[in-house]
Amino acid sequence: MTTTDDRPTMIEFKDVHKYYGDYHALRGINGTIKAGEFFSLLGPSGCGKTTLLRTIAGFEDISSGVIMIDGKDMASVAANTRPTNMVFQSYAIFPHMSVEENVGFGLRKDPRSKDEKAAAVAEALGMVGLKGFGKRAAHALSGGQRQRVALARALILKPKVLLLDEPLSALDKKMREHMQVELIKLQRQVGITFILVTHDQEEALVMSDRIAVMFDGEIAQLADPETLYRRPATKKVADFIGTMNFIPATILSEAGDKVEIEAKGLGRVALDIAQAPTPAGEDPVVGLRPETLTLLYDDQKAPERETEGVIDEVIYFGDMTYYDVYLGGTDVEVRLSMRNVPGRPVLDVGTKVRVAWSPSALVLFR
Amino acid sequence: MKKAPILKGYTLFYLLFLYGPILLLPIFAFNDSKVVAFPLKGLTLNWFAEMAADQNLRTAAKNSLIIAFSVSSISTILGIFAARASVRYNFPGKAPIMGMIMLPLVLPEMIVAMALLVVLLSLGIQLSLFTVIVGQVLICTPFAVAILTSAFQSLDRSLEEASLDLGETAVSTFRLIVLPLVMPGIMASFLICFTISFDEFIIANFLGSGKPILSVYIFGQFRFPAKVPSMLALGTVLVLFSIILLGFAEYMRRRGIAKAGGKDSGGLL
Repeated sequence: MTTTDDRPTMIEFKDVHKYYGDYHALRGINGTIKAGEFFSLLGPSGCGKTTLLRTIAGFEDISSGVIMIDGKDMASVAANTRPTNMVFQSYAIFPHMSVEENVGFGLRKDPRSKDEKAAAVAEALGMVGLKGFGKRAAHALSGGQRQRVALARALILKPKVLLLDEPLSALDKKMREHMQVELIKLQRQVGITFILVTHDQEEALVMSDRIAVMFDGEIAQLADPETLYRRPATKKVADFIGTMNFIPATILSEAGDKVEIEAKGLGRVALDIAQAPTPAGEDPVVGLRPETLTLLYDDQKAPERETEGVIDEVIYFGDMTYYDVYLGGTDVEVRLSMRNVPGRPVLDVGTKVRVAWSPSALVLFR
Repeated sequence: MKKAPILKGYTLFYLLFLYGPILLLPIFAFNDSKVVAFPLKGLTLNWFAEMAADQNLRTAAKNSLIIAFSVSSISTILGIFAARASVRYNFPGKAPIMGMIMLPLVLPEMIVAMALLVVLLSLGIQLSLFTVIVGQVLICTPFAVAILTSAFQSLDRSLEEASLDLGETAVSTFRLIVLPLVMPGIMASFLICFTISFDEFIIANFLGSGKPILSVYIFGQFRFPAKVPSMLALGTVLVLFSIILLGFAEYMRRRGIAKAGGKDSGGLL
């Protein structure tokens, strides 16, 4: 994970609001995106992530607040003069033009000579792995190829910021995973700030330096992928990113930087205050990721804590097995994942097991 | 699957009823007899020669072409504005406004013609080719709007945004992206309005003030039995002309949809 804190700010949002009539689409967006960062806007559909991206591009004006790009207020800057370029969800390849006409479209007003422009187009096509595709008709391309053309077309203008609106959602799973890696490599190569909009949390985790998780027009958490995964700020974020078990708990005492709780099925646990994000006024629950729970075989000893349980469900995935386990004779059920390594048989439903866990892996939402 | 001879017969009869009379046109146009009746007398091109020599008919044809060209141009331009507005923008009263633009499609033409005649006369406007054009634009514009709406609808909005994003202005985007992609729709609209105007009779008769216009002229000639065969020759030419025009229009429409990567939602043919 690269640290991005020392880089200069590329984009800054100051209390950005957007209304569509009565509908409040963006509700006070604040935050900064650093130069050269791979930044993702992640959230379910309708959370405002695409709207926010389009306000950066200049396709939507904002109702109030300020958007700065590279230190300049964008309020009076039209979309066609902003230092941003976009890869559209539909790719928006001009169907009546060839690949090279598409890629070179942004160079129409470029004062360079015809040959220099052709060289730039060829270079951009080479960068996205489409060398020699220039003469093809745009409508004869596959989905993956269209996306590469859209990328080359946007990058040829060497924008300060590249905006990507769900660029991988139209591709099949294999192609998507392949393009994720290619996009990361490309971003490192060109060093341009990438802002990706996605509803796919896995994609965001894989690709981003930092992620803003959005719900209902607000940024719920802005953090690097690891922090987001290990220390989600709210229960909603925790639920949206990956799988999280939630166990009802009661708070016994809170003193200094320690919080002591009683979690149903796990017993008394002392947590560090860092494991308890800002209270939201909800009923207290602790969150536990499936991979932080381990089944203990035979006479294995738990390194920290262990709890008894009964297997309720077994879901076999080939490399992994998911177990749903009732904890400590309660009705609390948790999901845990085990790698299927040699000498570790897949257990049956109803088996009594011991589950190892670590207090430091817990997050308390209250 | 069960055969349905009644349905089959019905279909055949239906098609014969529709196209049989039209098939008679060329048959009698080439028939060497002043009487339009079987049995046929022999092959001749005389009626076509007579048609071509008719000075009044030429004037009427010229007037009809002027009207049709003006009507299709004006209707298509109005159609572009209306279709673009209805596809791209939301404004108060949009649904009733669009509804009223499309209304002449179902309004009896007779009523439109009578109403226009009353208004024009009370305003003291001389009836002329111009008044025919005005009336026919009213009838043709809904067709233009319908065709062009489908052309603009199949245009992905992000194409225009992409062009803006790449540095073009709204005007150059319209020229470089929108116009080429809806051009087949514009052509189709022009051609269909042309055909509708060319054989339109009611408005031409009501608002034309006896000026020679092809449809009105043909109707008038049918009073003289001797003229009928040459009118059938003219009819044959017009049928061919219409088929070519409409076929070309539909070809352009389909090509436009395919070019913009859209789905065909049904056309006129």
